[in-house]
Amino acid sequence: MDDKTKITITLPTNAYFMSGIRDFTLTMIKNTTSFPEKWAFRFQSVIDELCNNAVEYGSSPGTEIKITYVYVKDDYLEISVEDTGTGKNKTTAKDLKKLFDDRRKEGYVFSGIRGRGLVKIVGEWTDEISFTDREGGGIIVTVKKYLKDVRQKITTEEINEPNLTFHNKITL
Amino acid sequence: MTDASIFTEDVAGTQIKIVHISGQLDESNVDEKIKEVYHVLESNPKELNLVCDLEKLEYMNSKSIGYLTDLYGKISDSGGQIAIANAKPNILDILQVVGLTQLIKTFGSIDEAKSSFSAQPATPAPAAQPAAPVAPPQTPQPQPTTVQEPQPASPQASQPAPQEPPKTA
Repeated sequence: MDDKTKITITLPTNAYFMSGIRDFTLTMIKNTTSFPEKWAFRFQSVIDELCNNAVEYGSSPGTEIKITYVYVKDDYLEISVEDTGTGKNKTTAKDLKKLFDDRRKEGYVFSGIRGRGLVKIVGEWTDEISFTDREGGGIIVTVKKYLKDVRQKITTEEINEPNLTFHNKITL
Repeated sequence: MTDASIFTEDVAGTQIKIVHISGQLDESNVDEKIKEVYHVLESNPKELNLVCDLEKLEYMNSKSIGYLTDLYGKISDSGGQIAIANAKPNILDILQVVGLTQLIKTFGSIDEAKSSFSAQPATPAPAAQPAAPVAPPQTPQPQPTTVQEPQPASPQASQPAPQEPPKTA
């Protein structure tokens, strides 16, 4: 396998397809990356939450969302989810980042049924997150998780541990 | 719609109900499936002790966790308790990262979960008291039940909790 693998999936704006995307994510990460199995389940949730937001708010029915996986061997996994901006929320990358940052603040209370996914799952289980306005409308949310990152003092020995915990830079 | 099922079991002679949840709870089905649990709450408005058996639950998304948090608030407010039993490691992991395991106790078996309720034996609710209807909240509007959730800030919070009875809530 090459040192860099890129997979792009385009799917209709419908939550029905997410079960298949989760299955694919789990299998792909287990079989083609060096991330421990625990992280395959975590990325499954990260993808699901990002796509649900795109389906719910970003792309209207009849349009599409696009998922891109980039895995650089022994380095990192990057996942991007982009919507078309035709959904019920007409927001910008700047506004979405502000919402994310506000909800990360200590003491923020999640009082409804929704709203935990982006901050508490995506934010906790990734090292970097960025929001970008898409040409032609829509937003691209990109997250990155390093397999071993000296900035986070993760050692090779820890990566081989079954109960590995990656220390996220984000502090909630 | 993704496959998921929820069914309820009564524990005879007690205020305990066991809700068995299996399959995958996600955006495509959770709003519909969770009604079963709210129906149990509606039928037992006072001092309900609820065990959520997650042995066959393979996946749950953040909205499912939002519903569990809402149920925790409603059941606690009515003098009842809620516990989780038999959750798989990946389910415990996600419950922990959102901080729910600091609100709801998790156990390795249904019996352990049931035993945890014995510390506060439930008394039968007065039959004559009419109960306000309980329904699943409409999403995405925020709901009146507000639960102060602990923040899983420490790195340790990302690890699944051991399924042992916690000391005290």
